[in-house]
Amino acid sequence: MNAVQQEQSEPGKARAVLQVAKWEFNRFFKIKSMISSVVWTLVFMVIGGGVGYWLAASSDETFQIAVVDYGPIHQDSLYHETAQFHNRTEVPFDSLLASLQQREIHAVLSVDSPDEARIWTQGEPGWVQVLQLRLDELRSDFKIRQYDLTEEAHADIIAPMALERINTRETVVSRADKVLAGVAISLVLMAVFLGFAYQFTAITGEKQQRITEQIVSAIHPQAWIDGKILGISAIGLANILVYGILGLFVSMMLYLVFGTVFPNVLLMINPMLLIVFLSMSVLGVLMWNSFLAAVAATIDDPNSSERSALMLLPTLPVLFAFFALFHPDSTAISIMGWFPLTSFAVMPARMVLTEVAVWEVLVALILLVAVVWLFRRLAGRIFAFSMMIHGKEPGMKEMVHWFKRAE
Amino acid sequence: MIELESVCKSYQRVKAVDALSFSVKEGEIFALLGPNGAGKTTCIRMIMQIIQPDEGLIRFDDRMVYNGKVRRSRLGYLPEERGLYPDTPVLDTLLYLGGLRHSDQKGLKQNALEWLKRFGLLDRRKDKISTLSKGNQQKVQFIASVLHRPDFAVLDEPFSGFDPINQEMISDVIRELRNNGTTILLSAHQMQLVERIADRILLLDSGRERVCGTLQEIRAKTISNRKISVRFEEEVSIDKMKNLKGVRDSSNQEGNSWDVYPEEQFELNQILKQLSELAPITDVNTSESGLHEIFLHSFNNKSN
Repeated sequence: MNAVQQEQSEPGKARAVLQVAKWEFNRFFKIKSMISSVVWTLVFMVIGGGVGYWLAASSDETFQIAVVDYGPIHQDSLYHETAQFHNRTEVPFDSLLASLQQREIHAVLSVDSPDEARIWTQGEPGWVQVLQLRLDELRSDFKIRQYDLTEEAHADIIAPMALERINTRETVVSRADKVLAGVAISLVLMAVFLGFAYQFTAITGEKQQRITEQIVSAIHPQAWIDGKILGISAIGLANILVYGILGLFVSMMLYLVFGTVFPNVLLMINPMLLIVFLSMSVLGVLMWNSFLAAVAATIDDPNSSERSALMLLPTLPVLFAFFALFHPDSTAISIMGWFPLTSFAVMPARMVLTEVAVWEVLVALILLVAVVWLFRRLAGRIFAFSMMIHGKEPGMKEMVHWFKRAE
Repeated sequence: MIELESVCKSYQRVKAVDALSFSVKEGEIFALLGPNGAGKTTCIRMIMQIIQPDEGLIRFDDRMVYNGKVRRSRLGYLPEERGLYPDTPVLDTLLYLGGLRHSDQKGLKQNALEWLKRFGLLDRRKDKISTLSKGNQQKVQFIASVLHRPDFAVLDEPFSGFDPINQEMISDVIRELRNNGTTILLSAHQMQLVERIADRILLLDSGRERVCGTLQEIRAKTISNRKISVRFEEEVSIDKMKNLKGVRDSSNQEGNSWDVYPEEQFELNQILKQLSELAPITDVNTSESGLHEIFLHSFNNKSN
């Protein structure tokens, strides 16, 4: 007989982790569903694109504007590509208003003086702003003529300031990099939210279906939670891959149909940036899945748990990444680029927009790896003591107590 | 095979298991019995490495241990609270649950198919678990616990959810497992089945051992090996029954019928003579006390 400790690492723990990971992956990642999902996405994209195109085409409508008074403006100079101006100075104003109400015309315009004009419309259409700009130009012309300026003097006055742009950075931020950064962050966010859904189903569902006990009698709780984190992260990464490829495919189709430059994205991608993006994406997905697993392990019933709100936490780094687009070199954003909970989204955004030292990238990666390890251990320990608790959720005090007691 | 030494486990203020010591010998069916809340499941979970004892030791046979740790692949477990993945096919479920303990997938599949055939589920192997009846789901659960041919299997309520025919079949399977070298720790409330298959029995009461031994030994220690069932022509008061010499206990059955449990050293004739003096006897027979009676005698007014 041998006295044994109650905690143990079974030989073949890695095999058990992979087995659970494979099971979780196969449980939720169904090729048939994925194909169906991709097809529907394409269908929606085609429908969305078609409707958008139709809306854009229909917005070419020319606005019909009845002018009751031209004031100091010459009739021929009142034109705009989106509007047709009709001389209605002889038509009674009331009948024009009646036409406006019956939607026969879009507006009635009266230019009362060089400085004042009035327009009657149904509602507050946005194109009035465009008309305002044209009226400003006409007023400006009128005033210049009033002061008897030569055409050269007039052109000189309205000429814009010549601003030469000189970029002192050696590398130029390419449009492709920006596109890549935006797409990568969006895909990672998608993977994290998929993890949110699947971790809940996988962990709380098994607790409720009373499957947990027989599994943790076969393998160590840490192996079980590691397998779940890996398997569900793999689903997220598989989705990133599928939808990434789908994005490229759509881009190529757009190129073939409309001749846009999207296919050049592949040629313009900085390989180093791509490697960092991929590493950060994988680690980011693993980290948040570990975090979500830890939260899910404390939840007894996801329908009534207040902890469900914690699952929205991963959206914060993405928000910070958007702040980084405007202030990539600020101290706060620099720190967020290293800070493990935000680095996976902020660091790639910074790398696209500004110069980031190699050591900063390395620090961010190392810290991220450390936090992934810490979170998975945390999830394993929380799970180990909470798996048998039904009907109530452990409090923070309890969790700290058990975390300290765990192996 | 396994030995518990002064094992204790408390949940907040409740002492679920209190200085419990017992051993399960290799190749036996050992029944752990007790009323609800006696600490059976806590004890089982500690043996299965799911929770840790607060005090005491749990020792396993050397071949169950690797690097000072219990080899979970040698353990089989049918928990009391059990469930399966409803949307997963039967065979896939078995291969997954069995595969967590056993690496030979080919051998597992062969075993799984044999078990399914035996339990009449071979043609349902590709069906989702949710399409099976409760009894068939229980069969799948049972198979999952022994599929990898464990050295030591803990079966917590293995008969629950089964009709009498399937209960008989499961008890046959448990005996067969024992005969093929698997040591079994059993917990169940079906006393008539347990008394037929268990080699030794431990009655657990509030986390402590009440009595342990073979059925005959615990009969002798608790109620009596013999039982006299007697029917009187007229009503006999409980006080008169209590005053009988050489009677350890008696219980009133329907009407004027009584079950009487004599002390071991008393002759049957002495007891019968006293009984006949109480009132005319219309019927009498003797038998051995069953586990059900032992259980009731031991835990009367305790079970909830």
